[in-house]
Amino acid sequence: MATFLIGYTIIALIVMFVIFVILVSRRIIFRNNAKIQSIFAHPLLIYSLKRIGSAFISIMLAISATYLLLRLKSRNSICQSYVENWDKLPYDIREIRCDNVMRNLGLYANNFWEVIGQIFNYFYKILPFPKTLCREDAGTEPIYDAFNNLISYVKVHDCRTFIIDLGISYKMASGSSSNYVIDIIFGERMMHSFRIGIIAVVIELAIGYPLGVLMAKHKDGIVDKIGKTYIISIDAIPGVAYYYIWQLLLVYLIGLPNKYESANFVSWLAPALTMGLTGMAGIALWVRRFMLDEFNSDYVKFARSKGISENRIMYTHVLRNAIVPLIRSIPASILGALLGSFYIENIYGVPGLGEYLIRANESNDLYALQGIVVVSAFISIIAYLAGDIVTAMVDPRVSLASE
Amino acid sequence: MEKKKVLEVKNLSVGFLSHGKKVHVIRNISLDVYEGETLAIVGESGSGKSVFTKTFTGMLDANGFISDGSTIMFDGMNLVELKKTKDWMGIRGKRIATIFQDPMTSLNPLFSIGFQISEVLRLHHNLSKEEAKKEAINLLKKVRIPDAEKRYNDYPFQYSGGMRQRVVIAIALACRPEILICDEPTTALDVTVQAQILDLIKELQKEYKWTTIFITHDLGVVANVADRVAVMYAGQIIEYGTVEDIFYRSAHPYTWALLSSLPQLGSKEDPLSYIPGNPPTFTSEIIGDAFAVRNKYAMRIDFLVEPPMFKISETHAAKTWLLDPRAPKVEKPSIIKNLSKRIKQVSSELQKELEIGGEKHE
Repeated sequence: MATFLIGYTIIALIVMFVIFVILVSRRIIFRNNAKIQSIFAHPLLIYSLKRIGSAFISIMLAISATYLLLRLKSRNSICQSYVENWDKLPYDIREIRCDNVMRNLGLYANNFWEVIGQIFNYFYKILPFPKTLCREDAGTEPIYDAFNNLISYVKVHDCRTFIIDLGISYKMASGSSSNYVIDIIFGERMMHSFRIGIIAVVIELAIGYPLGVLMAKHKDGIVDKIGKTYIISIDAIPGVAYYYIWQLLLVYLIGLPNKYESANFVSWLAPALTMGLTGMAGIALWVRRFMLDEFNSDYVKFARSKGISENRIMYTHVLRNAIVPLIRSIPASILGALLGSFYIENIYGVPGLGEYLIRANESNDLYALQGIVVVSAFISIIAYLAGDIVTAMVDPRVSLASE
Repeated sequence: MEKKKVLEVKNLSVGFLSHGKKVHVIRNISLDVYEGETLAIVGESGSGKSVFTKTFTGMLDANGFISDGSTIMFDGMNLVELKKTKDWMGIRGKRIATIFQDPMTSLNPLFSIGFQISEVLRLHHNLSKEEAKKEAINLLKKVRIPDAEKRYNDYPFQYSGGMRQRVVIAIALACRPEILICDEPTTALDVTVQAQILDLIKELQKEYKWTTIFITHDLGVVANVADRVAVMYAGQIIEYGTVEDIFYRSAHPYTWALLSSLPQLGSKEDPLSYIPGNPPTFTSEIIGDAFAVRNKYAMRIDFLVEPPMFKISETHAAKTWLLDPRAPKVEKPSIIKNLSKRIKQVSSELQKELEIGGEKHE
């Protein structure tokens, strides 16, 4: 009950806030109150709300598209991975079982309108408001009379209150404490991915930016030459190959643990370094390039003629200009860390989201697949919005107002 | 009365390393700049005007070098000997300031106008943040930015081109320089704004008493602001003198050609006059007078021996064999002979136009 109360209160507050903002920004209320106007009709706020609104529509479209695409998987290939002894069963029995599977998956439809209904049902489940949902396929329970004689079986209704429900992962139940996709993603998988990812992002930014600056500052110097060689090799070698090269270096040469263990911090380092040292190359490349571009600009010449020292020109004037086009991607890479990388998780045995995605695809775990799509769509939309806001804060020329 | 020299350039040669070859673009220039005067340096694009003045602030590009034997004396120092950026710190911006051509790109787009002005004040005068802000607002008022207090926190993109050039001037003012180098400061601005900026520079010069070195290819601007003029061609000064010397008593055929090609002075009936041919490239050595190939008054000697500077009067000298006593007398182009009359006529017309334009601008 408490969940419902809190959940609906929050939703009501959000809706009221949005309505209030719209009324203020349209100058319907508080027309002459400059203070309220400046807070609630702030371009950044209006822009964010608009973006979230339009993002909502794009997410809905993305979900519908994946939902329909997943249905293109052939009925047989799905049933093969759900019905035991598929090959040995007689045709009519396996057809009946297959129908049952499809019903349980929510994929059984007689006509087009039922498909649309299923999509809307899915929307209902993922929309973030509190709801109690029951599943009918949690199994059966025997019913006994007073003399302990079996009378019949009844279906078990496993009911639960959700904010967001992403369906049930039928194939991944083993090894997990829950078979709800939302629990698996947020409770287990994402934690591992994020751990590795965030360390990698820190490495990327902490090495990539200073390296790029240093390379630009001493162009054609020794650091620049080594850096360029490194960047070109990372660019030229395919990802899969250099991940293994990193593994070779980090694990067999330096001696970091090869297998990821949740409890052992040292074992996180090999995958994090592999990811971070690779991503760093791109950042250093662009920082260097933008810095050098800016270095030839007139305001640098003028700053020099003002008598400002080279270091101050470099770190105050040039760096700020060079970072503007790069800063947009920082929120994306931080939030992207939540999603993990399939290759790296595979190499080091990290039970993360990337690995989950591939396994879900291989085993036709449709709701897991769909759930990951929903989560990553949400994350990338938030990341782009955050990127725009950060850019607007750094660059005074960028205005988020509609004019 | 002998005027005090602020800058004494002797035998200055500047070259660039290009593809492993040394290319000399400033060839043996000697020039004195006197205190408080406005010296205009005129010449075509590529004549070396900008490179010449860049040596005063040590802002040559990385592949540029100054040849041995060159001296630039400034307040007892030989500026040629300053090699490191650190050595320039007390001079560049503080004692010799520069205004560049394009105000649109001279200011850093990401920092507020206020920041960019007070940055200099804090650097050169060690002012505190508050003091610097106060002084910066004063400077903005000096260059006639309306609502200076409010506009202190604005960014360059919120300013128009003319306003930005005013801010650039304010930044140059900030250090009360002894010499202000204006590198085509009005080229990128439209005519009415041009006049306002020139007036502003002249007015501030009266107040601050600096020396202005004005680089331009616009002889209209020269007539407006300069006390003395140096005409440059192919990396050399080929004639210098007071404005009157250059406009009314010019002696070098290149100066004649330059003056004749002023479109403002042409009459509607005659076709526009221009200088045929191109300026020489510096990749091969120049023998004789660099202008000889384009010069219809050229003599045989012009192709063989470089002419020396012939002194015409105390203030006026030109580098042409025509001034040699053995040279035949030549007729100046008619437009040059009637120049003073023509200028008076045109300038009165122009003045009227500007007044109308100025009124519109208000």
